Amino acid sequence: MSAAEGGVARVRDAAGILWVGRGIAVVAGLLLVAFPLLSDDQYYQNMVILSLVFAVAATGLSIITGLTGYVSLGQGAFVGLGGYTVGVLATHHPDTSVWVWVPVAGLVAAAVALALGLVSLRTRGPAFVIITVAFLFLVQVVAINWRSVSGGTEGLSLPLPTWSADIANWPFYYSLVGLLALQLLLSWWIRRTKLGTGLVAIREDETKAATIGVNLPVEKMIAFVASTVLVGMAGGVYGYYLTFIDPRGMFNILLSVETMLALLVGGKATLWGPVLGAFIVEPLNEYTNNNLGGGNARLLLFGGLLVVIVLFLPQGVLPAVESLLTRLRTRGRAGLVGARIGTGGGISSLTGHLSLVDRPTGEASPPPLLEVKDLRKSFGGLRAVDGVHLTVPEGSITGLIGPNGSGKTTLFNLIDDTIRADSGEIWLGGERIDGLPSWSRAHRGLGRTFQITRLFREMTVLENVVAAQRSFSWGQLGRIAVSGAEARAAEELLEYVGMRAFRDQRANDLSYGQQKLVELAQVLMLDPRLILLDEPAGGINPVLIDRMSEMIRELNSYGKTFLIVEHNMPFVLGLCDPVHVLGHGRTMASGTPDEVQADPAVLDAYLGEDFVPEPRDPVAPENPSMGEEVRRP
Amino acid sequence: MSELVQTLALSLLVGGIYALVASGLTLIFGVMRVINIAHGAFLILGSFLTYTLWDALGLDPLLGVLVTTPVVFALGWAVYRLFVRPIRDAPMSSTVLLTFGLALVTEGVMGSVWGNDSTAIRPSYVNSSFHLGSVFLPEAQVYGGVVAAVVLVGFWVLLTRTWLGRAIRAAATNPASAELVGIKVTSVAALVFGLGLAAAGAGGSIIGVLYPFVPGSHYLWISRLLAIVVLGGLGSLEGAVLAALVFGVAETVTAVYVSPAWATAVPYVIVFAVLLVRPQGLLGTRLRDDAVAA
Repeated sequence: MSAAEGGVARVRDAAGILWVGRGIAVVAGLLLVAFPLLSDDQYYQNMVILSLVFAVAATGLSIITGLTGYVSLGQGAFVGLGGYTVGVLATHHPDTSVWVWVPVAGLVAAAVALALGLVSLRTRGPAFVIITVAFLFLVQVVAINWRSVSGGTEGLSLPLPTWSADIANWPFYYSLVGLLALQLLLSWWIRRTKLGTGLVAIREDETKAATIGVNLPVEKMIAFVASTVLVGMAGGVYGYYLTFIDPRGMFNILLSVETMLALLVGGKATLWGPVLGAFIVEPLNEYTNNNLGGGNARLLLFGGLLVVIVLFLPQGVLPAVESLLTRLRTRGRAGLVGARIGTGGGISSLTGHLSLVDRPTGEASPPPLLEVKDLRKSFGGLRAVDGVHLTVPEGSITGLIGPNGSGKTTLFNLIDDTIRADSGEIWLGGERIDGLPSWSRAHRGLGRTFQITRLFREMTVLENVVAAQRSFSWGQLGRIAVSGAEARAAEELLEYVGMRAFRDQRANDLSYGQQKLVELAQVLMLDPRLILLDEPAGGINPVLIDRMSEMIRELNSYGKTFLIVEHNMPFVLGLCDPVHVLGHGRTMASGTPDEVQADPAVLDAYLGEDFVPEPRDPVAPENPSMGEEVRRP
Repeated sequence: MSELVQTLALSLLVGGIYALVASGLTLIFGVMRVINIAHGAFLILGSFLTYTLWDALGLDPLLGVLVTTPVVFALGWAVYRLFVRPIRDAPMSSTVLLTFGLALVTEGVMGSVWGNDSTAIRPSYVNSSFHLGSVFLPEAQVYGGVVAAVVLVGFWVLLTRTWLGRAIRAAATNPASAELVGIKVTSVAALVFGLGLAAAGAGGSIIGVLYPFVPGSHYLWISRLLAIVVLGGLGSLEGAVLAALVFGVAETVTAVYVSPAWATAVPYVIVFAVLLVRPQGLLGTRLRDDAVAA
């Protein structure tokens, strides 16, 4: 079987699994809806109601923790917050229907999440998880001490339900089913949008996500709010169902633990996993409470389960089952990874997405697109970039060469704000950008590839390309990414770089050269004015190097400007004009390839005195004194 | 006036104990980027061990430090080898969840062994005080503060004056290079985890004399400790000591001048304020979370 057929078969299998999964979900959903009509056993109804609360909470949590990768240990506190909002409002307004307060509970949860996010999501790293722990305990302390509102440790009694005893728990039950459906719909929708791909990009590699235009703080905060608003409402329904709430119960840390467990057991990055997890963990919890004495047994169960899952089943049940099925079905079939890279499509097919213009020719000195003035960056005592000046003329392919450690990659990092410069100015298209974060620079037309490719490893090739966000708008965040116009544009770019056949492969499974091509397509998706390429010809085979330089020339001829770091001298000198040379963090020389390679300082520091370039055209070398014999460096 | 002097003196004594325990937590973070949520649980475990030694054998609880330190060190070493090392390359969130799980298990075990009722260690000197003019200092607080200071100094000497200390700092700065110069990073990491938890265990002996405790007390302790290390700057030992003293004062002053009930909110308020105003803490440097793959 050919590789391509193998790929098709794999897609068919994946679709098969998908349909089986959907079938199971539909049957389970129908059972859930029919359950109270078929059985009036209060014990099981109570268990299902609690499972529903945890299912909503865990599905919500999957947005911030599963998709975005930020662990929140305070998810239970949003259930409590919702319960208390409804409880406090209902006891103060006894004549109003309690249901009125449920949406208010959602708004309170969202507002609190936004405030917490403003404190902790502006930065990266451990701040968020610490804030969520602190928040969990703080709300409990407040609920205990703020007696005039919360009733303190004695708790609050809510008005009893006013409807007929015949339907008993139905209103609670069905409103929770409805909230779960809404939460699932919200999760499902987010996954398909540009917002969703941005969130996964944040989870996989936050620095890289910023360079392709993902507005980190805003998207993380949306994710956090989306993971709490319906959970606050579910907490409100839950509080009403209990009719009595107190701080020890509603803000019990074990509610958060159970929510986290539901998410982890089911599969934190899946849509249905948290629901499955909730319906596994809550019955286990009930069993432990009723048959093993609760208390310490619950702690041992939850703590032990958490340790076991983290160590042995970090992906959760659903992904484990899925990968097992996939392995069984695809055994012995060739993968697509070894397939040949396509020859690449024509650039004309790209006009729909890229703004391609005919390059103005004959202009004596085009205006600079990028200007770097006296840029500096030190790491401790090491001055990696020490007062660099350089310009990249609009429409040029500018080269940047220099010995290892001369500061080339650091300079790239400063230009796209992967590292913030200590001082100096960066101007792009006449606008000063050195105070702007990476994503704003990307939105202004800066694209950049990395020396060691940095694709989002768990995403498919297509998802990697659609993850790029060329501007920031709420409308764009809500646009569907995985199909429609965005996906078509991405496919055209993949066709252009020759990687369309690989669109459904995981980026992690690609070879290094293939990753370079996908990263180029990803950057092109930004439709940048200036493209920074860090060693585009490094570590790939000669055919691909030729193809790479052909694409660069072609894109350049349609108006794209390039700044290229590269050690492959024939590649640089054949492609770039002007060329800047860095040494010890400073610009040593700038000029045409001929001027640079004749510069004694450059020869001494970098190229070596015996350096002779390949002739740039088949005609005799322009400078005969450089020797007759052509040598490769 | 004398009330203020008294409040400050007491809060600095308490702050010294906080400093000891928080040093362990920040050391573990600094060397292996693990936020050990189980730190408070091992502290309470130290308190329970001390209680049993005192109750069953009549050992002075402050001398219990000599037992709890090595015992909890050994536990910490084993915890690293068994649980943390297998996922050392996983993201930080995995170790947060793991140590959170360990904290719950430890709480459950303590509840099964010692029960969930409030436990207090009451040696003979628990009700006597030193009087300096109008200021009086409970003997237990003074002894506890002295023991904490001694252990903390020992800890510092170990980290700054010995080969092990240099190896630990080398492993923290650059694990790959540390391996190249002959440091077994895994062994060092296990030692660090043991040492960090030992500080919690030693602190537990002292704290057990000062306050009654239940297995669930560890939540309050981990909140305090996180607040202290965040305030000091995650991973900074000097920062943790400074922040512990500041924190001790803030908490005691709130308890005396506002209300003891609201003193429990101090840690959380500090965490929020620090992350809002100065995320790197008092003495911390911003983490290189922007490190480049190059």
